[in-house]
Amino acid sequence: MKLVINGKDADINGKLTIIQLLARENVKMPEMVSVELNGEILKRSDFEKKALEDGDAVEFLYFMGGGHGII
Amino acid sequence: MAIHGGFTGISGYGETVVPIYQTITYCYKTARELADVFAGTAPGYIYSRIANPTTAVLETRLAVLEDGIGCIATSSGMAAIASVMISLADTGSEIIAAAGIFGGTVSLFENTLARFGIKTTFVDIADTNNFAKAINDKTKLIFVETIGNPRMDVPDIPAIADIAHQANVPLIVDNTVTTPCLIKPADFGADIVIHSTSKFINGHGTALGGAIIDTGNYNWANGKFDQMKRLSEKFSRLAFLAYLRNLVYRDLGGCPAPMNSFLMLQGLETLSIRMIKHCENALKLAEFLEAHPKIEWINYPGLYSSIFHKRVTELFSGRGGGLLTFGLGDKQKAYQFIDSLKLARNAANLGDAKTLVIHPASTIFHEFSAGQRQAMKVTDDMIRVSVGIEDFEDIRDDFEQAMEKTFGDKK
Repeated sequence: MKLVINGKDADINGKLTIIQLLARENVKMPEMVSVELNGEILKRSDFEKKALEDGDAVEFLYFMGGGHGII
Repeated sequence: MAIHGGFTGISGYGETVVPIYQTITYCYKTARELADVFAGTAPGYIYSRIANPTTAVLETRLAVLEDGIGCIATSSGMAAIASVMISLADTGSEIIAAAGIFGGTVSLFENTLARFGIKTTFVDIADTNNFAKAINDKTKLIFVETIGNPRMDVPDIPAIADIAHQANVPLIVDNTVTTPCLIKPADFGADIVIHSTSKFINGHGTALGGAIIDTGNYNWANGKFDQMKRLSEKFSRLAFLAYLRNLVYRDLGGCPAPMNSFLMLQGLETLSIRMIKHCENALKLAEFLEAHPKIEWINYPGLYSSIFHKRVTELFSGRGGGLLTFGLGDKQKAYQFIDSLKLARNAANLGDAKTLVIHPASTIFHEFSAGQRQAMKVTDDMIRVSVGIEDFEDIRDDFEQAMEKTFGDKK
């Protein structure tokens, strides 16, 4: 399955849910990450339910409070 | 999800309980790494007023339970409401709120926010069209509680959500007294869900806390909120939470203590079974009181005779919550009844495992004039009960003996 993760192409074997992808990619601080799938922000309850499909674009987003510079 | 959500052992030691990260700040090896976190180009904790690992697990669990895209936990329910209002309303803008809401929230709207030029219009939920009539081009949001406290009225949340969205404004729903065990307001059109976690979620009267959950239903890029414009481009529907975390929440300092977040996590683990027991006991007590000849009136939306029973069935799966109010005719009898109780405690909290009672007119609403209290339907004879999870027979016996003492005879 081909995915685009944070703008980079990735080749993944087998089916994966979002939570499994977070573990596979060793995403930092999973308790603080938000996930955008094909341009839509996912509900947190979808992390365990949603299975990725070929061609999906996934973005890992953080807003950790660095300040209004990002605003 | 209340027990396992958002936690897979964050320390790496394999602990089964979420650790308490009792630390203010977080060290980085190089100046560059910390600068990257401040710049938002790398993830990382900076300072616990902004984010904390223990609190982050609580936030994740609440977001999952409320079917939201994210959550920010606060030091109290009032901190949560104040943070939302300050984020969305500014001088010259207006809020529409249900008339029968918690006295502390009324005070925030009528006194504190009014000082900054934010006007609130309170409307009776009895006619849902009152919300539509009150909306104008200055309106920034609509605020309701799932069950108005203490008048125990249940707003038509889906219809109010439709009215809000036709006017392009978000609907904010305070789900404190029902919790996600009874209703997920996200499913009925709510845009932001608020909690005082001090109540049923904590469940034991041990810690103050609050929470703000964005359900993802509202499009912050629709032009209604200029302050969210740039964030919407970067974070899409997360713009509101990012605005809070990076500015309002950070600037106001309304963060929870990590220890309190830990206590909320303990509470969440038993919330679903406690809520069932609270609701069962409250319904039984309401039926007992309704049948008592000395009772003047009773408000419990779960009662079959309540005008809100149908709405409770549709919105809360038939469970009417753990709160009820009733009247004994006058203030003197209300005081006498409260003073006669042995098991139930006279205290200002609600949602505790222990049954608590209070005389709202002379406590939570004492600062309001008699006219204001009348408008809020807080009568002088009103007693509010937060029904606990004791054996129901013990609660009933206590209320029965207090009635006998108050009226000087057996019923």
